[in-house]
Amino acid sequence: MSNYNPIWALAIFFFAVIVLFIFFQPVKGWFWILKKYFKNNEKTIIEDILKQLYHFENSGNKVNMKTLVQVLEYKNSSIVEAVKKMTINHLIYFESDILKLSEKGRDYALRIVRVHRLWERYLADKTGFSKTEWHNRAEMMEHKLNDDQTNMLATRLGNPKYDPHGDPIPTKTGKIAQIKGTELPLLPVNTVGIITHIEDEPQVIYKQILAENIHIGSLIKVIENNTTRIVFHSEGEAFKLAPIVAANLTVAPIEKEVIVEDNIARLSSLKEDETAKIIGISKESRGESRRRLLDLGFVKGAQVSIDLLNPLGEPHAYLIKGTSIALRKNQASKILIKKK
Amino acid sequence: MNQKNIDHIIELSNELRWQIGDDFHDTLTESMYANASNIVKNTVQNDNSKKRFQLDSKIDQIVTSKSFGFPIMFLILGLVLWLTIIGANYPSSLLANLLLDTIYPSLKSLALNIGMPWWLTGFLIDGVYLAVAWVIAVMLPPMAIFFPLFTLLEDFGYLPRVAFNLDALFKKSGAHGKQALTMSMGFGCNAAGVIATRIIDSPRERLIAILTNNFSLCNGRWPTQILIATIFIGALVPKSVSSLVALFAVIGIAVLGMVFMFGVSWALSKTVLKGEVSTFNLELPPYRPPRFWKTLYTSLIDRTLIVLWRAIVFAAPAGAVIWLISNINIGNESLAIWIIQSFDGFGFLLGLNGVILLAYIVAIPANEIVIPTILMLTVMVTGIAGGEGTGVLFELDSITDTAHILKAGGWTLLTAINLMLFSLLHNPCSTTIYTIYKETKSVKWTAFASIMPIIIGFIVTFLVAQFWRLLA
Repeated sequence: MSNYNPIWALAIFFFAVIVLFIFFQPVKGWFWILKKYFKNNEKTIIEDILKQLYHFENSGNKVNMKTLVQVLEYKNSSIVEAVKKMTINHLIYFESDILKLSEKGRDYALRIVRVHRLWERYLADKTGFSKTEWHNRAEMMEHKLNDDQTNMLATRLGNPKYDPHGDPIPTKTGKIAQIKGTELPLLPVNTVGIITHIEDEPQVIYKQILAENIHIGSLIKVIENNTTRIVFHSEGEAFKLAPIVAANLTVAPIEKEVIVEDNIARLSSLKEDETAKIIGISKESRGESRRRLLDLGFVKGAQVSIDLLNPLGEPHAYLIKGTSIALRKNQASKILIKKK
Repeated sequence: MNQKNIDHIIELSNELRWQIGDDFHDTLTESMYANASNIVKNTVQNDNSKKRFQLDSKIDQIVTSKSFGFPIMFLILGLVLWLTIIGANYPSSLLANLLLDTIYPSLKSLALNIGMPWWLTGFLIDGVYLAVAWVIAVMLPPMAIFFPLFTLLEDFGYLPRVAFNLDALFKKSGAHGKQALTMSMGFGCNAAGVIATRIIDSPRERLIAILTNNFSLCNGRWPTQILIATIFIGALVPKSVSSLVALFAVIGIAVLGMVFMFGVSWALSKTVLKGEVSTFNLELPPYRPPRFWKTLYTSLIDRTLIVLWRAIVFAAPAGAVIWLISNINIGNESLAIWIIQSFDGFGFLLGLNGVILLAYIVAIPANEIVIPTILMLTVMVTGIAGGEGTGVLFELDSITDTAHILKAGGWTLLTAINLMLFSLLHNPCSTTIYTIYKETKSVKWTAFASIMPIIIGFIVTFLVAQFWRLLA
């Protein structure tokens, strides 16, 4: 203890803290980067190339080596190496300089897409990860699960048809449902429809959509549609989006025969002396929390009113079936009502 | 039926399920619920004349109002804590009188009369019996007061309103409003607080409440805080205000605990727990007159006795260990001295000393015996007069005498402050650790809950010590 000096002790401490931070800070920490670097083996690269080709071909785009190198975040040399190997294994072939998926390659790509979307479904239904994390977690998982594990996962989830963004999940046999509907900017004014798909890439735009609190499965009515903005009404609220953002929403127009409930609002918009009838629970409320709401009596046809306002603004207590239940704002916004 | 047919049927069912689509299951469940509620509406008759609303909603309007809600809450919680701390003094000293001053000497003389060897007397009576008696005397009365009071409030229906009022605050740190209740319960006993988290039905928020309950200053730690604050912090100011200043110092530590609770809750919900499922809902049950006797009975049996029993089970071996390390010699020093000397350097870095660190290790079973252990070890190390003998726990009635021993052990104001901080920020007692394991059924979370607070404690005391020495 003779050479002890508080300044030295502090200096060593802060040095250790900084080193730990550099290594383990989320995402950018050296530890994670190194881990990722060592995991980027050939299989991952091949699967990512297959997936990219699959998505490009589905949207009718042609891919040459140049675009492929641009979209993938791998070293150019490893991509070239992987492409070489894939042509030898007949996963892909070249038509002049355009890369094409072979039958075999397409099957493989579908399997990857299946794992990705199933895993997103799993994250949405069975875990508490936030929406913004689903995609990246599924990106990692799609390289890990083998066929048997994938089928077990599908069975456990009840063989779902769509992932939480509305993308169809390919079946075991490679069958794939179609997304119904068209991109929102292409719809004429006064169209009534249901949001069937919310694209989660690029993330910047996806985060904007989430911030707007737009829900999949919501009924909407297009009010205004021009080159600067698109306005639509949904569940008692007006939403204004830039066309580039709106392009990430797919809406299926509803045929005339279907009776459309108008005046649908969200429970979060209920005022103190109003009563309302519950129309249903939005698809955004999933898994455990959805079941809980049903258990508590938030079912179609039930009467609801406000019992108590919270001194801090939330949660408010709602009177349902003679019981007072407090719900937070983001939950109440997923319960659809019709005011009286 | 042959295999081919079965395969065909399974294939067909998969095909049909595919055609029906995703909504089917949801629609089915929802219509079942809706139908059930329709049947109830048509068949069950409600007596609508005496609606709950009149009186209940009056009370609700007051206890959740912007102006009265929070003052009422603080008043009630303060009253419960005050009744517990003040009210427990009398029965505690009575129990101490009986167990420590009457039964203990007579056990000793009995052992002497039947010719028990000294090491067996020491091990059983000075070690095991004394530690158990100590835990009972200090722990039982506050718990027997706190838990019934708390359960009465719960039974009346007031506590869910507290959770309702405070939920927005807890939501900011990713926690559940009901954590306000488990946190308050933790002021009585962390093990009971951990059990109380069963009222939180959302898995993520429940884990948060379990892992951060230790930041509530429990009953076993209040006396330590009060004693040290009186000796070292109260002495800084004129006599007339010294007890008030000491009290504020202790409250400050409790509030600091809450700050850590919120901070750690926030960090947990953003990192390791973000994948756990989170569902929120809070039922506000109607008020009802508390069932006094039933509440008293269940809170004594369910909470007090179970917790006390677990504490005794853990305190007995601790007493044995304390006696053994003080009486087993290696070379010419006892084991305790060797350990203390090896801890002294690290203890100094934290602004504490080897005695305190050893005391916190042997006192993992119960925070109640920290001060007696520190006193015993300090007397042993310094070799000053006082105490009851090596390995025998003791406490002094006179605060001046206690202060005298601690100062002889080299204690300064820094030691006192860091001890108070370390008493707040260290691993939970073994009863709580065991309870966390019982509730989470997970070794991982139990280990995390035990290690995380002590790392925070090391960091905080270390920083305080270095800055203190730099600036003072």
